[in-house]
Amino acid sequence: MSFAKCIEILTKYYLSFLLGIRTTLIVAISGTLFGLMIGLFVGGFRAIRLDKTASGTKKTVKKILDIVGRIYIEVFRGTPMMVQAVFIYYLVYTNIVRWGKMTAAIFVISINTGAYMAEIVRSGIQAIDPGQNEAARSLGMSSMQTMMDVILPQAIRNAFPAIGNELIVNIKDSSVLMIISITELMFQSNSIAGTTYRFTETYFLTAAIYLILTGLSSIILGMIEKRMNHTRTSLPQSDTSYSSISLANKGAKS
Amino acid sequence: MSLIDVKNVRKGFGDLEVLHDISFIVDKGEVVCLIGPSGSGKSTMLRCINLLEDIDEGEIDVFGQNISELKDINSYRRRVGMVFQQFNLFNNMDVLNNCVLAQMKVLKKDRKEAEARAFKELQKVGLGDFVRAYPSTLSGGQKQRVAIARALCMDPEILLFDEPTSALDPEMVGEVLNVIRDLAKEDMTMVIVTHEMAFARDVADKVIFMDDGVIVEEGKPALIFDQPKNERTRQFLARIL
Repeated sequence: MSFAKCIEILTKYYLSFLLGIRTTLIVAISGTLFGLMIGLFVGGFRAIRLDKTASGTKKTVKKILDIVGRIYIEVFRGTPMMVQAVFIYYLVYTNIVRWGKMTAAIFVISINTGAYMAEIVRSGIQAIDPGQNEAARSLGMSSMQTMMDVILPQAIRNAFPAIGNELIVNIKDSSVLMIISITELMFQSNSIAGTTYRFTETYFLTAAIYLILTGLSSIILGMIEKRMNHTRTSLPQSDTSYSSISLANKGAKS
Repeated sequence: MSLIDVKNVRKGFGDLEVLHDISFIVDKGEVVCLIGPSGSGKSTMLRCINLLEDIDEGEIDVFGQNISELKDINSYRRRVGMVFQQFNLFNNMDVLNNCVLAQMKVLKKDRKEAEARAFKELQKVGLGDFVRAYPSTLSGGQKQRVAIARALCMDPEILLFDEPTSALDPEMVGEVLNVIRDLAKEDMTMVIVTHEMAFARDVADKVIFMDDGVIVEEGKPALIFDQPKNERTRQFLARIL
């Protein structure tokens, strides 16, 4: 392996690499975001505890949907994303609609990530002291309001490191989506290696680029996490907000 | 008129029955203290009144309605405030927003009106300077006073206290009890589970002594504390006082 060759490949094929990086980032970031949404929905629903006084039909519907959620999670965590990608891509392509490869890729990575996110969100919710739920309910808030305004914000904050970890996993694991030939980084690398016959150098560059992408993501996620924790421990503010509320108070009385 | 009428209530967890045939009433404006050893079912009884637990047998009527048959539990709970041993403040919000959230979500007030009310209640419990503090920066006594203010913001007609001072350092117990004393003076109807006997004696209109899931004795505080009729009450008070 020669570094001179590496630089030669890089200067000659940097546009291909850039295209690969772009696709990888689009797939990984949108997959993580959509996956988080699925996870919030599925995990949040699975964590809802019905009132002891809830009706029988409510309890049955909840039980059935819990089982559906459980099956979804087990299937998508228990099979390789590469297999999911080819299977779902061709299943939809031949039976339902001739969809684009990029759409298929984002769809697959999203539902795959969603399965993991659902468990992350659920464990994040279950880590919240049940007293918070009781307090909100005792004030007359519905279980939905309690979940959205009290439980989820705390659960997401606690689970943020695990949620961020999914982005890093997705940057790397989106490489298996080359199986449906989207032009992500691994796919591009394969074509460059195939053209240059310089396999070691090309894949060395590929590895280096992945490392830079995940490293940068780590730094950015760390910064966001620090910011989140900062707001939590902020000290009492100065008199300004105090007096503005005091004024609002007077205004409401008059 | 009795606001709370508990009739022959039984409640068990699995095979263990923790409430055996409990009956008592609470009148409007009355302060009732539930005392008794740990595990006697006091907290469970209180939680049943707020539907945090369901009962197996019997009936609890509040505001003249059987609460097991309520269609809208949320609007019932709004009228019955609850203060917990572990405070249960919302840790992701500052003190003001702890008191504002349910006003906006349940009473549908706008923010300005809700903040004004929250500020008024926080001042009342002596925390007007702490509106922007987060729960993690407060002492136990301060947290419990915020919890009381949060409940008061909903204009409850009944307040339930589940051992409000049991998780506090001794020097903070007084500040919380004083807030409850003030509420008693305003004729707030309250049911208080407590281990603070001097407080119960001072503030209660009626004291109920529970042991092992039954009401052993109930009556005016002077009677219960000075001339307990039952041997179990005597033994309990001898240990505590």
